[in-house]
Amino acid sequence: MVAKAQTRIQGKVLGKESGKPLIGASINLKGSNVGTQTDKDGSYSLNLPLSSANKILVVKYVGFIPQEILVTGQTTINFYLVEESLQLSEVVAIGYATVERKDLTGSVSSINEKQLKDIPVNSAAEALTGRLAGVQVTTSEGAPGADVKITIRGGGSITQSNEPLYIIDGIQVEDGLTGLSPQDIASVDVLKDASATSIYGARGANGVVIITTKGGKEMKTQVNYNNILGVKSLANKLEVMSPYDFVIRQYERSRGLSNTETAFENTYGTWDKLDQYKSTPAIDWQEKTFGNHAFMQTHNVSIVGGTKLTTYNLSLTSNNEDGIMLNSGFDRKLVNFKFDHRVSNALRVGFNVRYTKQNVLGAGTSDAGSTTYNMLRHTIKYRPFNIGNLAEDEIDESYYEDTNTGNAIGIINPVALSNAQYRNRETKITNLNAYLNYTFNKNFSFRSTAGINYNMQNTQIFEDGITSRARTLGARLPMVGVIDNDRDNLNISNVLTYNLKGSQSHKLDVILGNEFYTIKNKSQEIQLKNFPAGITADKALGQLNLGTLLTTPVLYPLTFQSETRSVSFFQRTNYSYKGKYLATFSLRADASSRFADDKRWGYFPSGSLAWRISQEDFMKNIPLISDMKLRLSYGSSGNDRINDYLFQNTFSASARYGLNEQLVPGFVVTDLANKNLIWETTISRNIGLDVSILKERIQLTVDAYHNKVNDLLINVPIPSTSGYVTQLQNVGNTSNKGFEFQLNAVPIKNKNFTWNANFNIAFNRNKIEKLSERQNSYLQNSGFGISGQPADYIVKVGQPVGTMYGYVSDGFYTTNDFNYDAATSRYTLKSGVADVSGAIGIAQPGWMKLKDLDGNNVIDDNDKTIIGNANPKFSGGLNQQFAYKNFDLSIFVNFVYGNDVYNANKIEFTNAYSSYSNALNMVTNRWKTIDQNGQLIQRVVTVGGQQFVEGAPPSVLSEINKNASMWIPISGTGAWYPTSWAIEDGSFLRINNITLGYTLPSVLTNKFKINRLRIYGTVNNLAVFTNYSGYDPEVNARRSVPVTPGVDYSAYPRSKTFVFGFNLSL
Amino acid sequence: MKRQYFKHYLLAIGGLLILTVSACKKYLDLTPPSAFDERYVFSTVPNATSAVLGAYDRLAGLQAYGSRLSLIYPYDNDEMVGVLNTTAPDNSSRDLSRYNVQSTNAQLTLPFEQLYAGIERANICIKNIPGMALYQNGSEEEKKQLKRLHGEALTLRAQFYFELIRNWGDIPAPFEPSIDQPDLFLPRTDRDTIYNRLINDLELASSLVPWRTEVVSDERITKGAVKALRAKLAMFRAGYSLRRSPKMMEQRADSLKFYKIARDECFDLMQRRDQHTLNPSFKAVFKDGIASYKIDPFGEVLFEVAMQRETDSNIGYYDGPRFYVPGNTALLGNGQTRIIPTYFYDFDSLDVRRDVTAAPYYNSPEYYKTVQPLLNMTSGKFRSDWISPRLSSATQATGLNWPLIRFSDVLLMFAEADNALNKNPTPDAIAALKEVRKRGFGGNESLIGTIPTTHDAFHTAIVNERYFEFGGEGIRKYDLIRWNLLGKKITEVRAKLTKMRLRQAPYNNLPQYMYYKPSSTEVIWSHSLYKPTPSPAPTGFTRVNWIIALTDTWVNNVAQMFQPNHSELFPLPQSVLDTNPKLK
Repeated sequence: MVAKAQTRIQGKVLGKESGKPLIGASINLKGSNVGTQTDKDGSYSLNLPLSSANKILVVKYVGFIPQEILVTGQTTINFYLVEESLQLSEVVAIGYATVERKDLTGSVSSINEKQLKDIPVNSAAEALTGRLAGVQVTTSEGAPGADVKITIRGGGSITQSNEPLYIIDGIQVEDGLTGLSPQDIASVDVLKDASATSIYGARGANGVVIITTKGGKEMKTQVNYNNILGVKSLANKLEVMSPYDFVIRQYERSRGLSNTETAFENTYGTWDKLDQYKSTPAIDWQEKTFGNHAFMQTHNVSIVGGTKLTTYNLSLTSNNEDGIMLNSGFDRKLVNFKFDHRVSNALRVGFNVRYTKQNVLGAGTSDAGSTTYNMLRHTIKYRPFNIGNLAEDEIDESYYEDTNTGNAIGIINPVALSNAQYRNRETKITNLNAYLNYTFNKNFSFRSTAGINYNMQNTQIFEDGITSRARTLGARLPMVGVIDNDRDNLNISNVLTYNLKGSQSHKLDVILGNEFYTIKNKSQEIQLKNFPAGITADKALGQLNLGTLLTTPVLYPLTFQSETRSVSFFQRTNYSYKGKYLATFSLRADASSRFADDKRWGYFPSGSLAWRISQEDFMKNIPLISDMKLRLSYGSSGNDRINDYLFQNTFSASARYGLNEQLVPGFVVTDLANKNLIWETTISRNIGLDVSILKERIQLTVDAYHNKVNDLLINVPIPSTSGYVTQLQNVGNTSNKGFEFQLNAVPIKNKNFTWNANFNIAFNRNKIEKLSERQNSYLQNSGFGISGQPADYIVKVGQPVGTMYGYVSDGFYTTNDFNYDAATSRYTLKSGVADVSGAIGIAQPGWMKLKDLDGNNVIDDNDKTIIGNANPKFSGGLNQQFAYKNFDLSIFVNFVYGNDVYNANKIEFTNAYSSYSNALNMVTNRWKTIDQNGQLIQRVVTVGGQQFVEGAPPSVLSEINKNASMWIPISGTGAWYPTSWAIEDGSFLRINNITLGYTLPSVLTNKFKINRLRIYGTVNNLAVFTNYSGYDPEVNARRSVPVTPGVDYSAYPRSKTFVFGFNLSL
Repeated sequence: MKRQYFKHYLLAIGGLLILTVSACKKYLDLTPPSAFDERYVFSTVPNATSAVLGAYDRLAGLQAYGSRLSLIYPYDNDEMVGVLNTTAPDNSSRDLSRYNVQSTNAQLTLPFEQLYAGIERANICIKNIPGMALYQNGSEEEKKQLKRLHGEALTLRAQFYFELIRNWGDIPAPFEPSIDQPDLFLPRTDRDTIYNRLINDLELASSLVPWRTEVVSDERITKGAVKALRAKLAMFRAGYSLRRSPKMMEQRADSLKFYKIARDECFDLMQRRDQHTLNPSFKAVFKDGIASYKIDPFGEVLFEVAMQRETDSNIGYYDGPRFYVPGNTALLGNGQTRIIPTYFYDFDSLDVRRDVTAAPYYNSPEYYKTVQPLLNMTSGKFRSDWISPRLSSATQATGLNWPLIRFSDVLLMFAEADNALNKNPTPDAIAALKEVRKRGFGGNESLIGTIPTTHDAFHTAIVNERYFEFGGEGIRKYDLIRWNLLGKKITEVRAKLTKMRLRQAPYNNLPQYMYYKPSSTEVIWSHSLYKPTPSPAPTGFTRVNWIIALTDTWVNNVAQMFQPNHSELFPLPQSVLDTNPKLK
C-alpha cells in the first residue's frame, strides 16, 4: 500500500511549433507544493501523492502559455506549449488596471520587450521611434541626451505642452523617458483615444504612455548580462567651399571700396597671387569638430528570480558614450529594483526603486538664442585654411574682427571655441514607489499605490573669454553659470476593484478610486562674469566668489519655486455580455490648485462600445477570420499643464531700477491674470477595427479618429493701453483627424525559420479651428538668425500648427530683367518685373528674385505667404524579425513623408552677412560680379543717397554667368529672410537598425553552465533616403514655443553607430 | 469575518473621502512662493517701496529714456538730426527722423507699450498705497514714507502720460489697475482732460513728497521734481498741439490759467536755492555729474532717470562720438545724432555751451581726437570719453542717467510764463533769463549782451536761449511744437544751410576745410572756425572736410517729409489699432 501511495509520471515539455525541448519549465500539481523542473532535454519526472484529490498538472514556461492537464492514470505525459506571441492574450495596461487585449474597447498601441530586445540603443525614446502607430517620436538633434518630442495623434495645444502623460509602474512622472533604460522596459502601452485617456482626466488629453518595467519571475535565480560596444561616426557632412573658391569669393566681395580691397590684399595677396590657393590644403573643420570616432559602451546586469511568494528583479545599467563632437559625451548609471511579495493569500505588497544619474557633457551646437550664441556656424563658416603659423586649435583674433559685422557674430576657431567651453548637465532621478493589494474576497480587492519621484538637475557652464557670450557680456573674461532645477512629485492613488464572478454571460469590472498628485518645482540660476583670465573650468566652478554677478539680461541670482496640487476621484466600469458586446464607461473629477476657487473642478466622462463580431454565430463559418472586433468611443480629457498661479495677479521681483548705480529690485505684475482660466479640453471620437486572420497569423488594427480641443489657451492680444500685451484666455479650438494602421504578421513560421513583421502607418491632419474673437492669425518668430528678423511661422485659422511663412523664391534676376543704358552703364529694372529692393536690397542681375503675389511689382509684406508645413502626411515603420536555427536578424526601417523642413542653416551658410566667412559649396557656382581677370564687372553705387546698379554690358555679364546656379550671396538683414528656397521636403526613410545575432548552441554553452549566450552586431542609422540637403531631416531645433517645429538651425549632426555585443544568461 | 473587515474598510474609505472633500479647498489654495500677492506687497513699507520701484523701472531701458524716447523720438529739429538715410525709407528710426512715420514703424510699438506698462504699475500703487493700514495708523516714519511713495507713484504716472500725450495726443487713459477695469477696450480721452487730472494729481503729490535734502540723495523723485514737472505739464497744456478735429495746431483759450500754474511752481522752486540751483559750471553738469555717475551737488538736475552701467541706456553710445574700450579693437558707438552745421555756427563763439553740446571728433583708444568732417559732428553732452570710470566692455549699455528737468529749465519756464502772463517781462523774468545766459558764458556777464524788454522780443530770446541751453537733451522738438514753430524752424534751417553751402552771408567766411592736430587728447585747430581755410596748409595738422561737405541731399534730408498740422504727432502703432477697434 505504501508503495502504491505515489504515482510516478514522466514525460517531456516541448515547444509546440518548434518541437524543441524547453529547459527549466516548471511542472506543479495544482494546489500543492509538489513540483519539479525539466532538464536540458526537456524531460521531467514527478511523483504524485495518490491521496491528492485534485490531480491537475500545471506547466509553466516563460514566454509560453501555461498548460493544465488532468491526470487520469497516464504515466507519460508530454506537454506541447504554445508561445505567448499571439497578441490577443496579451495584457494591456489601461490605467489603474489591466485588461486582455480581446476585451479592450479603446485605442491602445503597445510594444513589449520582445520587440525591443533587438535594438541596442541607450535611449528609451529612440527605441520607440517609428514603432507605434500614431505616436510620433522626434529627436531634436544628434547630440547625446538630446531632447525628444513625443506627440500622440498630432497634439492639440498651441501654447501649452503637447507632451503625453507618463505613468511608470503606476506612478505619474514628469521626466518622461529620460530616467529609463530600454533594457529595463517590459512593456509600453500608449493610450490614444479619450475613452482610454479620460481615466487620467485633466492630464490625459495628450495621450498617456504607460510603462511597466521588468519584474521578477517565479524561477531559479538567473543572472543576465547584456553588453553593447560600439563606435559612432558622423553620418553626413555639409560640403563647403575649397580654399581657392573661398579666396576668390572674398576677393569678389572686397571689390569696390579701396579700404576693403586693401584689407583683402594685405591678408590674401593680389589677384595674380591667388592661384597659389589652388594648392592650399583644406582644413575640414567638420572633421576637426565632429570627426571623432566616438566609442560607446553599455553594460547591463540583471538578476531575476523568485519563489511563489517573492519575486524580484535587480537591474544595473551603465551607459557611456563619447560624443562625435569634441569635448562632448554622455554617461548614465541606472538601477532598477523591483520586488513583490505575497504576505498572505489576501495581501500582496511590492516595492520598486529606480535611480538614474545622467551626465551630458559638452556645449553642443544649438542654443535657444539667436545667431550670436549658436555654435555650428563657426565650424561651417570658418576659413577653410589657416594663415601664418597658427595651429589648428589656435584662435585668430584678426579673423574674428574681420568677420564681425556687428551683433558679436564674428567667427571663432571652432576647435578653440569648443575647448573654451565646458558644460556638464547632470540629472539625478530617484523614484521610490510601493503598493499594497488586498483581496477581500473573490469580488472585491483594494490597491493603494504611493510613489515619490525626485528629479534633480544641475547644469554647470564655463566659458572662457573668447566665446561670443564672454565677448558681449563678460568683458572677454571667463564666465560661469550654475543652474539647478529640482522637482519633487508625490503621487498617491487608492483603487477599489469589484469583479463580478460566477456568471457565464455577464462580466463586470468596476473600479472606484481617488488620487492625490503634487508637484513642487524649485530652481536657481547664477550667472557670473569677470573671472580671472586663464582660470580653468573646474577652478572657476569651484570658486564662484571669484566672479561678479551678471545683471543683464536679468538680475542674478534667479530663484523660482512653485507648487501644484490636485485631487481626483474616478470610476470605470467594464461590462461585457457573452464576450460579444463590450462597454466601458468612465468618469473622472479633478480639482487643481492651478485654477481659481470657482473654476477648480473639472469632469471628464467617456464611453466606449465594442462588438466582437467574430463571436457571432454567422461568423463561425468563416474560418479565415479568427477574431474581429469593432470599437467605438467618445470621451473627453484635459490638459492642465499650464503654469501655476495664473489666475491671480502676482508680483515678482523682475523689475529693477539703478538707484545710485545699485540695481534695486522692484515688484511688478508681469502678466495680467485671468480669473476665469480653466483647462483645455479635448473631445475625442474614435472608431476602430481589430481583425485577426489565419489563426492570428495576421493581425490588423485600424483606427480613425477626430479629436477637437476646446477652450484652448491662447495668449490673446489685448489693448496694450492696459499695460499688458496679451492675456491668457481659453478661446481657441484645434482639431486632429487621422487614420492609423497597425499590422502584425507571421508570414512564415516553421521548425527552422520564422519571419515576424510589424508594420504601422499613421495619417494625421491638424487644423487650427479658431484663435480668438478678434484674431484669425498671428505671426511667430522661430528666433533663429539676427534680431529684427521677420517672423517665419504663422498661426492661422484653417492651417495646421507648424505653418511656415515667408516669401516665395523665384530664382534670380538675369540681364533680361533689366534695361541697360550703355552711356551710364546703369541697369534699371524693366517695368513689369517684380522689384525686391524694398525687401532684400536693390535688384541687380544675379540678385535673389522673389515672387510678386499681389501683382503690384513691388515685393513687400503683402507678398508673403504660406511656404511650408512641418506636419508629415504620414509616418510609420516596419520591423521585421527573422530567425533561422540559431541565427536571428532584424531590420527596422521608419519613415516620415510629406513634411517640410525649414533649412535655416542653408540661409545662414550661403549669405554674405559676415565678411570673410566660408559658405556651402553651392555658393561656388554663384552669379559672379568679377570676370576671369578679377576685374569688377558689376556693382552697386550710391549717388546722392540713392543706389544704382552699374555694370558691363548684358552680353558680358550673361556670358560669365551662363552656368550660374545660385544668386549673389545676400548681405544686410535681407540675408536672413525666410523664403521658400529654404523650405525643403523632409520626407525620409531611415534604415534605423539592422541586427544580426547568433545564439550559441545550448549543447555547447551548457558545458560552461551558461543558459544562453547570444552574440550580435548592429548598425544603427545605417542610411537615410531623403532629398533633404542638410545633415538630417529629423530635426527640431527651435523648441521654446511649440508652434515653430521643423527648423534645422545649428543642430548637432547625427551619427551612425556600429555596435557589437552579447547577451548572456547564467 | 472577511465581510466584517470589508465593512470597516468601506467605512474608513468613505470617511476619508468626506474628510478630503472638505479639506480640499484648503489643500488646493496655494500662494506662489516666488511671487507675491497684492495683499502681501501692500502690507509693509519695504514691499510697497519695491512696488513703486517697479513703476520707476519703466522709465529706464532702451525702449524708454535709455534710447528711444531720449535719443530717437526728439529728432530731427533745428539743432540736430538723426543720422542720414542710406536706404530710404526704412520704416524705422530714420523714417522717424524724416517725419515719414507709418503706424507700422518698428520704433513705435515697444515705447508705447512700455509707457502704458508704467501707467499700470503706477495705477496699482496709487490704488493700494493709500489703502494700506499703515498709511493711516502706522508710525510717523511709516506714514511719511508711504506718503512719499504715493506721491512718487502719482508723479511717475504723470511723467508716463506726459510722454504719451506729447507724442500721440489724445490717448486711452486708464486711471485704475487693469484687473479692476470692466473693459480694457478704452476709447481716446481728450489730452486736456488728462492734463487737468495730472496737474491736480501733482498738486497732491507735491504735498506728499519731501525736499531733496530731507532724504538720502539718489534719483528718486523729490518735491523739486514734482513741482518742476507740474510746471512743465502746465506749459504744454497752455501751448499749441495738434488737435484731432479739426486736424490743426491749436492753443486753448484757457492757456493763461496754466501759465499761472507754471509760473507759480517755478517761482516756489526759485525761492528754495538751498534745494535746487544752477551748477556754476555748465560742463560739470554733464562731465562731472552724469558722465561720472554722480548726483549733481547743486540739485541742478531736479528729475533724472536712473540707469545702470552695463545694463541700461545707450546714452553716449548711440548719439555721441565713437570710441574704443580696452581689449577691443573695434570702434564702438554709433554717432547717430548729428549736429546741424547752422546750429553749431549759431552759438556765440564764446558761449561755453557750444563745445559741450557738440563733439566734432571720434576717439582713439588713447582718447586722441580724430576730428570728423563737419557733417559727422555728433551730439556731445553725453560723450564716451567723459565717462568715468572708463567703460570696460563692448556692451552698448553705458548706464548714463537721462536728465528730464534741469534748473535752467525751471528758470526759463518761469521767464516764459511770467512774460506770457504779464504781457511784458518783469524784472524777475529778466533776471531768470540772465542767470541762465550768464552761466552759459562761463559766468562772465559782460558777454551776454542785452536782454530784450518787450513781450515778443523777450519771448524770442527765450526761444533762442532754450536752443542753446538744451541741445541734445530731447527738449527742442517738443518746445517748438508747443510754440507752433517746428515747421517754421525747419524751413529756416534748410534756407540757412543752403546759404552756408553756397557760402552766402553770413556764412561767406567759413572755412571749406579745417586742420587739426592729430594724436592729441584735445581738439586743437590750426586756425579759427570762423575764417576761411588758410593756404598753404599748416604743417603737422590733418585736414578734414568742413563746409565743403554740405550737399543739397544733406540739406533736404533734414526733417525731409515734415508736413505742418500732420507731423507733430505720431500715428498710433499698428498693433494698437489692430487690437482695439475703438481707436481706428
